[in-house]
Amino acid sequence: MAEIVAGFGMPHNPGAPALVARDGPECETARYYADMAKHIAAVAPDVLVIFTDDHFNTFFLDNFPTFAIGIAEASAGPNDQTPMPRYDVAVPGALAAHIRESAIARGFDISLVQDFEVDHAVMVPLHFITPQMKIPVLPIFINCLAPPLPTAQRCYALGETVRAAIEEWPQPLRVAVIGSGSFSLEIGGPKIPPGERVAGTPDPQWSEHVQDLLREVRIDDLIAEATTARMLAAGNIGGELLDWVAMLGVIGARKPVTILPQNDHGQAFVVWRWN
Amino acid sequence: MTVYAVNKLCRDALRDLAFREAVKRDPVAAIASRDLTAEERNALLTGDVARLYELGCHPFLLAYLVRWDLFGITGALYNKRIHALHGAPQ
Repeated sequence: MAEIVAGFGMPHNPGAPALVARDGPECETARYYADMAKHIAAVAPDVLVIFTDDHFNTFFLDNFPTFAIGIAEASAGPNDQTPMPRYDVAVPGALAAHIRESAIARGFDISLVQDFEVDHAVMVPLHFITPQMKIPVLPIFINCLAPPLPTAQRCYALGETVRAAIEEWPQPLRVAVIGSGSFSLEIGGPKIPPGERVAGTPDPQWSEHVQDLLREVRIDDLIAEATTARMLAAGNIGGELLDWVAMLGVIGARKPVTILPQNDHGQAFVVWRWN
Repeated sequence: MTVYAVNKLCRDALRDLAFREAVKRDPVAAIASRDLTAEERNALLTGDVARLYELGCHPFLLAYLVRWDLFGITGALYNKRIHALHGAPQ
């Protein structure tokens, strides 16, 4: 039967591939993603499940799901002109369909998307951690950007439901799960710092606090504190924490083996392994 | 709720090169056929991003305009105007 073998959380800044191309493998962002890649290689997953938030690219406001799952045999991206290589990637369509069916039977009515591409929130992490694109990737989309957002409780429960579905899968399969996103980030809103940029990190303390809760395995506290108001106080992109919360629902309350903070950017790279 | 049309316009600026070039060339003409309210149209043409934000335009999409200084909105101008909103941190 399928098993969950590791959890990861990491950011997906669209500028990261160009930054690393410019500054080389010794820069912090390159080293942190390389550490994630090392752990991915060590756990050798057959499938990556990634909780991601679409930035109005795969979907738009004419039809914007709270939760959706990609059911296809392949996808590609980035579909948002992020300056990076374009990739094709396999999608484990049968597993995705099983997860959706199982989740709906358990009361989680996840929307279906087929014939889709993905944006930087999926492709930036993959660019660094599986550049050969040989591991099939199953995206589960959460609305983290267009309020009303789902609650952290609901996102954690989504993760628990996905775990139950994966564990029902009859064939042996090693599944690693990723939460993609930042903790504090404002783009285009009034919390950006004065100057010429249109993005900033309004609340690095919240980023540090989230990591403290992760380090201390205080998942219940994290879920209780991660209200929409609190997340959005950390920036209008702060809801991306929900991608992490759903990932935590899959792996359960465990102690991380690695936390690599970038609090000036309101984000961190975190790994959970247990075998 | 035609602010949807402003959001769509911002997304088109990212994805539709012909539209983006048209906005650079002649913004009034480029958005003439768009289903915008007079207030939205005026806010766009005057680069009033604070008003567009208040009307409910998503800031992630609104910030696309800065990439090409569309409607005269530079990064510095966007930043200054969005900070003019009530309650904004200084």
